[in-house]
Amino acid sequence: MTGAVALKAAYIVTWVILLGYLGSLVGRFRRAREEMKDLKRGK
Amino acid sequence: MKQLFIAFIVLTVALIGFSSYQALFVAPTEQTMGDVQRIFYYHVPSAWTAGVCFFVNFVASIAYLWKRNLGSDALAAASAEVGVMFCTIVLITGPIWARPVWGIWWTWDARLTTTLVLWLIYVSYLVLRRFSAGGQTQVLAAALAIFGFVDVPIVYMSIRWFRTQHPSPVMGGGENSGLDPAMLHAFFWNLLAFTCVGIVLMVIRYRLQRLEEQVEAAHAAVALQGGSQ
Repeated sequence: MTGAVALKAAYIVTWVILLGYLGSLVGRFRRAREEMKDLKRGK
Repeated sequence: MKQLFIAFIVLTVALIGFSSYQALFVAPTEQTMGDVQRIFYYHVPSAWTAGVCFFVNFVASIAYLWKRNLGSDALAAASAEVGVMFCTIVLITGPIWARPVWGIWWTWDARLTTTLVLWLIYVSYLVLRRFSAGGQTQVLAAALAIFGFVDVPIVYMSIRWFRTQHPSPVMGGGENSGLDPAMLHAFFWNLLAFTCVGIVLMVIRYRLQRLEEQVEAAHAAVALQGGSQ
């Protein structure tokens, strides 16, 4: 692995993990909000 | 408060753009390692942010054991999860840097091993929170967090206490340590940007934790109503 490839790989891995985690948080938030709405509606 | 948080997110995004530009294009290329040294601008700030998150987890856990308030417990849960995420980045970007520089992906030296142990401690903390069904989960998690935090200063000091394959400290490491001012500039911008990303993620995760607690309480209330009818 050359230095330039390693740098690109590290950069991509860092941001894939950060954005993937942010995406998972947003998804969990949406599900929890929907569940709360359903509970308030009495489903 | 919400508008303030949105402004903070916008500031964080701008910081990420600026600090990435500094790290990839402005900071001078290191003479012996070349471009691969630029991984340092992500690797070290990620380690710093993980340390900050674990410190927040430590303080929140003590606060929970003292006052037993759910806000502290939610903050502890949020900071541990975000800390594990940053620690994962450290454990992946480190070997990516090591392969071209050392010729190996991994070695069991003090810094690498203690960092892996740190990651395992906080993963076990999250597993405990997720799968423990008893009423003492939060107390057990807080106790584990307090003991687990002991590894954070050990990780920090490992390259000072032991002769390791890991590079010696760049800052605060004695007479021969230090960075070129242009590198230092890029490094501090990235440190700031990653810290802000950590804060944003902790706030979002904290709010999610509180919302999930409300959902759980609402489920329990519905179950009680159903049982009493």
